[in-house]
Formats: sequence, C-alpha cells, structure tokens
Amino acid sequence: MNLSSASLISFLEYFEPVLCAIVIWLIVRSRVGRQYGYLLALMCVRLGCSVTSLSLFYATRHTLIERHLAYHIYFYIYWTSYALESILSLLVIYSIFRLAMAPLKGLQTLGMLVFRWVAAISVAVSIGVAASPHLTGITFLVAIITQLQQTSSILTLSLLLFVCFAIRPMGLTYRSRIFGVSLGLGFLAAISLVNSAWIAHNVNMYSRFSLVNGFAVGLTLLIWSTYFSFPEPKRRIIVLPTTSPFLRWNQISMALGDDPGYVAIGGVPPELFAPAELEVMRRASAKMPVSQLEGAESLKSLSA
Amino acid sequence: MKYIARAIVVVLVLTGAAASTQLSSASPSKDKIMISRPSMLPVPTCDPNDPNACGFKG
Repeated sequence: MNLSSASLISFLEYFEPVLCAIVIWLIVRSRVGRQYGYLLALMCVRLGCSVTSLSLFYATRHTLIERHLAYHIYFYIYWTSYALESILSLLVIYSIFRLAMAPLKGLQTLGMLVFRWVAAISVAVSIGVAASPHLTGITFLVAIITQLQQTSSILTLSLLLFVCFAIRPMGLTYRSRIFGVSLGLGFLAAISLVNSAWIAHNVNMYSRFSLVNGFAVGLTLLIWSTYFSFPEPKRRIIVLPTTSPFLRWNQISMALGDDPGYVAIGGVPPELFAPAELEVMRRASAKMPVSQLEGAESLKSLSA
Repeated sequence: MKYIARAIVVVLVLTGAAASTQLSSASPSKDKIMISRPSMLPVPTCDPNDPNACGFKG
C-alpha cells in the first residue's frame, strides 16, 4: 500500500468516530431515541470501539505501549465490539421491521413471530457450524461471530428488499427514516459480505480493501446523518384495494391472534348456577313441548 | 427516485448474494480469520499471540 493510501486510511480512521458522534447527536436531537434505541446503542458501541482503538494506536505510535501487547489488546477490543455489533444489528433489523409494519398490526405480529424463530434458528446454526472439533478458544468465538454476522447481513439485505418493494402498502416514502436506516444497514451488510469474501482470499491487516471499507462506512454514516437531519415526512394514508393480499393477510393474522371465547358443553354441576338462573331454566323447560325434550334427550344420548 | 432507489437496493442485494457464494466455499479454519467488521479500523487477521503482532503499526 502506498503512502497516500495509508494517509487516507489514517484520516478515515479518525473520521469514523466523528461521524458516529454526529449520528448519535442527530438521533438524540430529533427525539427518536426510543424508536431507534438499538441503532443508538450500535452507534455508541462503534464510537466506543473507535475511540479506544485510536487511543491504542496513538500510544503505540508514540511507544507508550509495547507493539505486541497493543495488538493483543486491539484484537480483543475489535472482536468484542464486533460480537456486540452483530447482536445489536439483529435487534436493529427487528426494531425496523416492527416500525415499518406498525400500521398493519396483524402482519406485524405474525412477521415478528417468524423473525424471532428465524433469529433463534440462525443463532443455533451459527453455534452448531462453529462447534467443529479443531476450533477451540478464541478461534471458536471468532467462528461464531463470523457466522452470526453473515446471518445478520443476509437478514438485513432481505429486510431492505422487503422495505423497498413494500414501501407503498406501509405508507412510507423513500424519504422516510425507516427506509434510510434500512438502506444504511444494507450498505454495511453488503460491504461486510464482500469484505469477508476478500479476506478469505487475501489475509492482510492493511489491505487496499480497507479504503473501500472506509468509504462504505463513511457513506453509510452520512446517509444516516442526512436522514436524521431533516424532519421525517408523515406516513401517508394507507389506501389498499379490498382485493389486496396485504389487507387479506393482515385480517387473517389479526384473527389468528384473537383470544377465543369458551362455551361449556357438559359436566356443569347445578351448584354453579344461581337459584334465579335455575328457576329461569326450569320454567323454560316447562314451556318446551315434550317431543322437543325427547329429541334433545336422544341427541344427548347420540353425542354421548 | 423510485427506480433509482430500487436499482440501488437490487445491486446491493445481488452484491451480497454474490459475495456470500464466495464465503460458502470457505469453511472456518484454525489459523484464518474469515470475516471483518465494516469499519475504517484495520482488521486484526492474525492470532492475538502472533510473533510479528500481525504487522501492527498503530
């Protein structure tokens, strides 16, 4: 890597925490911290990791700390924050899906149920794939994080595809923050996958891809800053045709979650009824014709 | 706007899908890091006890 690339990467390293801090400030300023809480947490983790790592770099350059020890510390800081980010990314996708589907309550409930199952299965598969006999200790943890991040990236891209193509039935526009956050996450997910494919063939700590990586992260953080700088347009009134599959599935999903009513069909002791109720029943049976009573008795014996 | 946004999304998804096919052929091994966090920071690709500290310059 030549000197200009190295100095550019060095500049980008210091640029990332600044952009993270700007995104955090904009989220807090626009008072959407509760809605985008997981994104806020993700940004805080990135900021913390960047600040700690840059302090470590500074200490190493000025020989305040031994190089091997510095790398040892950096290794753990990097992979710990990566693990936290993987988990938080999944939670961000979950919260974005919940926000996007808020007007369609039935589909939201059903989708979140499916999402929880997919996430649980993905975590189980990640652990299962990583648990091969030759992997122990730190390599095992790195393998789990690797699998988890790949799963998270694929889920993110799926979410982005869904938000992009189902944006109209959800009453959103391309200027909505939900789309902006999904687009940023999609950028990170695609770059993460490309980066992993690159690293699988070129294992080098300082490679030319660091530059691409730096620009992609910078672009993502700029997208988020832009979306949180401007006021979000209100959701449009959702008008769906009566034949819309969204509407139909939403109704079905809402009915699926209903608490059912119960009816006593037998084995009810007379003590359960109040004397007044018993009296009403007695009078009603007295008024009923004998043939109808016999019919009821025969039905009762048949069902028994 | 609509078509540009959709085109970007489709390109991103196709890129991710193409990259993941490259990943599936590479299984996790003992001495290789197979993924990196999208970040401006360098990726620590070696073992924490690497004798050369992975060329760490700080």
